[in-house]
Amino acid sequence: MLSYLIFTLTLCAIYGLLALSLNLIWGSAGLVNLGLAGFFAVGAYASALATGAGAPVLIGWGAALLVGATVGLVVTFATLRLRDDYLAIVTLGFAEVIRLVALNERWLTNGSDGISGIKAPLKAELGTQNFAYFYLGLATLVLVIVWALLRRLDGSPYGRALKAIREDQQLASFAGKPVLRFKLQAFALSAAIAALAGALYAHFQSYISPDHFQPLITIYIFLAVTAGGVGRPSGAVLGAYLVVIFLEATRFVTEWVPGLQPVQLAATREMLIGIALILVLHLKPQGILPERIPKAPVPPAAA
Amino acid sequence: MSQLLQALINGVMTGTLIAVPAIGFSAIFAVLRYPNFAIAAYATIGAFAAWWANVAMGLPIPAALLVAFAVTGFIGVVAEETSLKRLRNNGALIVAIASIALNLVLENIVRFIFGNEMRGYDLPIARDMRFGDLRIGPQQLQSLLLAVVIMAAMFLFLRYTRFGKAMRAVADNPDLARLKGIDPAKIAIVTLFLGAGLTGVGGVLIGLDTSIDPLTGYRVLLSVFAAAVLGGLGSIPGAVAGALMLGIAEELALLVVPATYRTGVGFVAILLMLTFRPRGLLGERAA
Amino acid sequence: MTEFTTDRRTLLAGAAALAGLSALPGRALAQGAPIKIGTLTPLTGAGGPYGPVMVKAVKAVVDEVNAAGGVLGRKVELISEDDQTNPEAGVRAARKLIDVDKVSAILGTWASSVTTAVAPLCWESKTFLATVSGADSITQLPHQGYLIRTQPNTTLQGRKFGEFCVAEKAKRVFFLSPQTPFAKSQFDNITEAVKKAGGETGSLIYDDKKPAYRSEIDEVLRFKPDAIIFGGYTPDTAVMLKDAYRAGYGGLKVAFGYAVNQKLVESVPAEVVDKTFTLAPSPAEGSKAYARLVKMIGVASPDPYTTQIYDQINLVLMAIALAGDASGTAIKDAVRKVSQAPGGAKVDNAVDGLKAIAAKQAVDYDGASGPCDFTETGDIADCQFRYEQVQGGKLTLVKIA
Repeated sequence: MLSYLIFTLTLCAIYGLLALSLNLIWGSAGLVNLGLAGFFAVGAYASALATGAGAPVLIGWGAALLVGATVGLVVTFATLRLRDDYLAIVTLGFAEVIRLVALNERWLTNGSDGISGIKAPLKAELGTQNFAYFYLGLATLVLVIVWALLRRLDGSPYGRALKAIREDQQLASFAGKPVLRFKLQAFALSAAIAALAGALYAHFQSYISPDHFQPLITIYIFLAVTAGGVGRPSGAVLGAYLVVIFLEATRFVTEWVPGLQPVQLAATREMLIGIALILVLHLKPQGILPERIPKAPVPPAAA
Repeated sequence: MSQLLQALINGVMTGTLIAVPAIGFSAIFAVLRYPNFAIAAYATIGAFAAWWANVAMGLPIPAALLVAFAVTGFIGVVAEETSLKRLRNNGALIVAIASIALNLVLENIVRFIFGNEMRGYDLPIARDMRFGDLRIGPQQLQSLLLAVVIMAAMFLFLRYTRFGKAMRAVADNPDLARLKGIDPAKIAIVTLFLGAGLTGVGGVLIGLDTSIDPLTGYRVLLSVFAAAVLGGLGSIPGAVAGALMLGIAEELALLVVPATYRTGVGFVAILLMLTFRPRGLLGERAA
Repeated sequence: MTEFTTDRRTLLAGAAALAGLSALPGRALAQGAPIKIGTLTPLTGAGGPYGPVMVKAVKAVVDEVNAAGGVLGRKVELISEDDQTNPEAGVRAARKLIDVDKVSAILGTWASSVTTAVAPLCWESKTFLATVSGADSITQLPHQGYLIRTQPNTTLQGRKFGEFCVAEKAKRVFFLSPQTPFAKSQFDNITEAVKKAGGETGSLIYDDKKPAYRSEIDEVLRFKPDAIIFGGYTPDTAVMLKDAYRAGYGGLKVAFGYAVNQKLVESVPAEVVDKTFTLAPSPAEGSKAYARLVKMIGVASPDPYTTQIYDQINLVLMAIALAGDASGTAIKDAVRKVSQAPGGAKVDNAVDGLKAIAAKQAVDYDGASGPCDFTETGDIADCQFRYEQVQGGKLTLVKIA
């Protein structure tokens, strides 16, 4: 039971990073990235390949950040000038293309076999049980650092400018904000965070494959961010923890339903996830931790 | 040469499969202004409804198509009214996300009732007709004809009937439409019925060529989106043109690109289109 | 000294006998804690057509064994999780099975990616894993014996496909497959067999989510094949068969038993799939396990995954009984003693096997998917194949060889 909890909490931290990534682009800049699973994959593969070629794990994570940001820029460059619904569809297609590349380019990604034996930092030294504790600490630490940085960003003039763009692009560009550049930067940063989550996942599980990066995980993260509160980093993180716990809890709930075939139980589980998202959107559209709309800046002394 | 020509013909046939659900998707988008991801489930539901009519009740396929249209339209309206309607004020993206969740729920209701096993219609299959080196599928030709008829009917309905005009008015400006005495809520219901219903009909056509299982619609979701974007989001003739374009692009690309990258071809086509003509083939302003 | 030793021995033996005596009726009454077995099959996602029937087969065996008094006097409890055909979800489900339910064994992982993701959790926690995945790399994982696979590897299977086509007088054989971990090696093995007989081969890897494959089939037909081997799963194979039919292909059609299964045959027009041959791993002719499984689950032609998981549950339950211990390590150490004990009595189901084990007889299980003898790495040593052909809308047995 304990190792199950540790595992689940580690996963929570990784989902938390994904939720922070989505929250930055959606909550702050108002753009929808339905290709989250794609960026998650890019980071996982970047770090797995880099460390596979002999680089230390930290360099692998750096590579994930870099590649994630670059791919984010490439994807958005052609589409950012478009309306948001176009961007949503393009990013969805992008995730599928990433999966196709991972599936078919055997020379690079080992194809559908996936990459196994990815370096798990200090696992040999610590042993399986201690490694689980260590990695939980590490993943949580990374999450806390990214969360703190994004919170600072949220309150900074840059963050406020992003939100201004979200609320009214034309007004923002009127006010002299370079809207397109801001959007590109935000998207690249968001993609980099999702890629970092992928790198954390790869070294946690030591195995990745194209099958890992199906669109379902993107839905989970949307559920997390909407449940927690769009536009607020703390909300996104809380939402991620709730979603993972909810996903796991549905296993135990459906066990108590008698008289159903296993396939019906499985269907019920997935139904519950969908219904939860719809309910949250209806009942708590602002999420559990609603966004705090910052007041107009006042001199610190007066505050 | 005949290889190229055959690939073109194949493209039209493949595109036809996507065209009808793309019309449904575009109709909903045109009026309600959000991309409805639940069309995957609507296509699946249509395929199952027609299966029930055709195999369990023994009706012929044309009657089964009508059943699929009615059942899916009805379910589409119910789903919209219960789970999406109230969110429409919160912006297109929120509704789009809710529709993803709705899709998951509907797909699993189908799975719950019917299980995962594949099913098929009670309809003989015809060999392709041959013209020299070229071949054309008679059933695909019928599907193409059906798609064109549906497109024309939708187009004429929107352009010339009072209801159609009201739909377009709501699409352009709901507040103004209300002032003119049009009830946007009623229009939304009709739109959903038509859009979901047509997607259901499209699902039957897909089910005829593939298999009927809970993922029938999901497998073509990306292609439908790609077709709608290529043709121009919200344009009915655009949906058909986009679907045919996508089909042709995919089949032509097979002559040079490995077959496993078919989905990628659609994506590149979208990127190219959006770069050079952001509003799509026949769409309105996109930026 | 000597006397003392003897005394102590007698004493110990007596105590053991006493303990044994007092334990026996107690066990029979209280039945101890149940033995927990997990299934991790795809119930949703791309593998969805297969998982539900697999669970059904395991459930049938468990019910039968429980009705006959369980294993070691304990009830067997089955816990089914859904891997959603996704290794990320599969790992979460496996962690729950291992850490919360504390299952002794996990059966039936289907997608190779799920198996590869779940296998390390199993050997690290000393849980036994039995899989139906096809990727050759799986048995090469450092699994320390905690993994067995009932699916024949591609060397065995690919060669059989190739040899079958040659035997049917095909000279030009085409392999049509989605991108799977075994597509390439399968093709290599087919090619080897066909080339040996002086034939030619070609292959095409396709995108398995498309509603039509007209141009793919055109490309195949340009090769002028006299045999096509369909390497996909049911949904995409159904589309391929239809498009091959439309294009007028009339040559030999061969497919995996799990792709052209009873459901596929029932759901496509008869002429599309007529005369198609299927290959599935099989026990030797005359084995009753297959017929028994058919009766048990009420499916006329259970597909290879179902026959395999049926064998897995039988083997695991007998291994537990033989070891007198339900731990994963005990299963690992005992499984080959029930699957291939030299000179053991042939059994084809767990209930008979458990009786024999209780009577201290050596057993050698021959299952519904084959003789179930495992190599050191966990692959099946050998098996025969069922060759069936679709005739008039039914899968009909042609031969077992």
